[in-house]
Amino acid sequence: MKSRREFLCSLGGACVAAVAGPGFAQDVAPRGTMVPVEEGGLAPRPAGWYKKLPEEWVQCGLCPRGCRISDAERGTCGVRENRKGNLYTLVHSRPCTVALDPIEKKPFFHVLPGSPVLSLATAGCNFDCKGCQNWEIAQARPEQVRSFTLTPEDAIGVARERGAPLVACTYTEPTVFSEYVLDIARAGRGKGIRTVVVSNGSIQQQPLADLCAELAAYKVDLKGFNETFYRQHTGGELKPVLETLRRLMKLGTWTEIVVLVIPTLNDSMEEIKSLARFVVNDLGPEVPVHFTRFHPAYRLMNLPSTPVSTLERARQTAMEQGLRFVYLGNVPGHPGENTFCPGCGRTLIKRRGMALLENNLKGGSCPDCRRKIPGVWV
Amino acid sequence: MAEAPTRRDFIGCVAAGLAVSAATVREAEAFFLPGPPPSVASAPSRPVVAIARREGMIDRPAGKLDMRKVQEALGAAVSRAAGEKTAVDAFQKLFTPRDVVGIKVNCLAGRGLSTRPEVAAQIALWLQVAGVPPGQIVIWDRTERELKSAGFSPSQSGPRVIGTDGDYEGRLREWGPGASRFARLLVEDLTAVIDVPLLKDHGLSGVSLGMKNLYGTIHNPNKLHDEGCNPFLPHLSAFPLLREKLRLTVVDGTTGQCHGGPGFSPAWAWEYQGFLASTDIVAVDAAGWRVLEERRKSQGLKSLALEGREPRYIRDAQKLGLGVGDEARVDVRNV
Repeated sequence: MKSRREFLCSLGGACVAAVAGPGFAQDVAPRGTMVPVEEGGLAPRPAGWYKKLPEEWVQCGLCPRGCRISDAERGTCGVRENRKGNLYTLVHSRPCTVALDPIEKKPFFHVLPGSPVLSLATAGCNFDCKGCQNWEIAQARPEQVRSFTLTPEDAIGVARERGAPLVACTYTEPTVFSEYVLDIARAGRGKGIRTVVVSNGSIQQQPLADLCAELAAYKVDLKGFNETFYRQHTGGELKPVLETLRRLMKLGTWTEIVVLVIPTLNDSMEEIKSLARFVVNDLGPEVPVHFTRFHPAYRLMNLPSTPVSTLERARQTAMEQGLRFVYLGNVPGHPGENTFCPGCGRTLIKRRGMALLENNLKGGSCPDCRRKIPGVWV
Repeated sequence: MAEAPTRRDFIGCVAAGLAVSAATVREAEAFFLPGPPPSVASAPSRPVVAIARREGMIDRPAGKLDMRKVQEALGAAVSRAAGEKTAVDAFQKLFTPRDVVGIKVNCLAGRGLSTRPEVAAQIALWLQVAGVPPGQIVIWDRTERELKSAGFSPSQSGPRVIGTDGDYEGRLREWGPGASRFARLLVEDLTAVIDVPLLKDHGLSGVSLGMKNLYGTIHNPNKLHDEGCNPFLPHLSAFPLLREKLRLTVVDGTTGQCHGGPGFSPAWAWEYQGFLASTDIVAVDAAGWRVLEERRKSQGLKSLALEGREPRYIRDAQKLGLGVGDEARVDVRNV
């Protein structure tokens, strides 16, 4: 069986490293900035977005859970710890996974197609999705994974060296390491490196606004479209995620949505229809939506992979509601991976899996009918 | 009769940072407990919770433990909980020389409100006297960092003192409302567990006693604190991997804390100077809860129920058949 490292390397192709290894540590060592690391691999640094409460309690203000945390305890994410009435992030500059991926893997289909992206993650997540593909790191506390030091400046340096115009905070949940995300985005400013996140969208307004001031794009995993599903299968709530999506529109941050379609749990066409209507009415018909194929993982090993026909029906249903850019994911070679011009129907961007095959856009527009295609193209 | 520890075993024990004296070994063998033996009513259906307190257990102003008093109280609690006359008899009854015994301590709050190293060492010593080789005894908690912060000296020899750190088994185990990776030590090495929690308040679960300390055996306790840790605590404690290995719970109440937990809050800590022991984790949790409520009342604090954090999980553990939380059905003995 493949280790996570082998798995990521094989997927990424041009993998830099995944799950801290000596090889990678040596690669970046010459530039490596040291940060104080405690025994156990923790690198406590004052956290943002929290308020102090009486008796040395704190309330985290990062995600809608708003964890009330007593001294010596951590929030649900497992990476933010109260030490004598002050909240610390334990994972700033301490990723456990770094890899070079194509942007299509995130997936962002309307952001610099074909670009390599330096992808990184620390331990921790504020959700506990039963179908999590990366649970070994997302559901771990930082002591339980091998992490290494990579400061924001070093991350930008690695991205530049590898020819990646983007850094993606991904794999686990970037919200829980927002301080690091923000510092990476700021470090890349003026150096031609932009930062994107792949998130569950469960984040409070203030940190979202602070992040969006620096980020190039935001991908939200909309895991379903009913509260019961969210409560039972993600450990989170739907309403705050929808609010995040609305706010992303107001903030003008480029946003794409991914929906992991899981057999029997969130695959009814009624639910898909409601979801699509929400996107059309509240966010706009030009927001790309990706329906991706579920494969058994973590606590949902009992379910089969999503039939491709279900994904096709979902795509059709969403387009019937007025969505213009609806994609299929995890179905390599399917026409649903391509971008078509809503004006004239021309194939604008052709993909296969994570590979870009053709990009016919001219200045972000259809070369035939000149319809503007929304996205981050330069 | 099990062999007493050899000199080498004893040195190993000291090397592990376990503060015991040579005389302690002899005393442990000879220790006899006062008070009447358990009544007929102390049948399995009527679990025993033994509470032993001794004035002067904490030597002021230095704050050190008077080990004679610790031995006396701890021995009294353990022996009565097991229905035996002496502590060594109790350990011989509950453990065999083939067992690999994990003493699960709780060091989250660091010095001031963690399982005392001396208490863990005394239990380890009695286990040795009862015939369990020192190499088959492990004092453990989540991380070495926390162990050190509580005054333990990690060691790989004699009775080992180790933190799980990242050493969880690879597989995920579903245990009802949750799923976790368990400490590899627990899964692969230990045949028996002694749970040695604190007597303390917990801001979310109400109290942190025996069941709560078992969160330290899994990789994801941070995911299991909603709704006062209920139904997570009962179901985790009832999971066969833990339930079948847990033989004894000893609440280290040398220092208790009735509010402001689980971190150390000196304003609410007090010298309870005692131990609560039982083979029934639900019964001992219920008894510990009672002690904490009494202390809260004496300090002018509201009950946990009025604060909206009554530890309902204790009653739900009884409903699950894990043990007896109804005090009317528990033989609580002050010894």
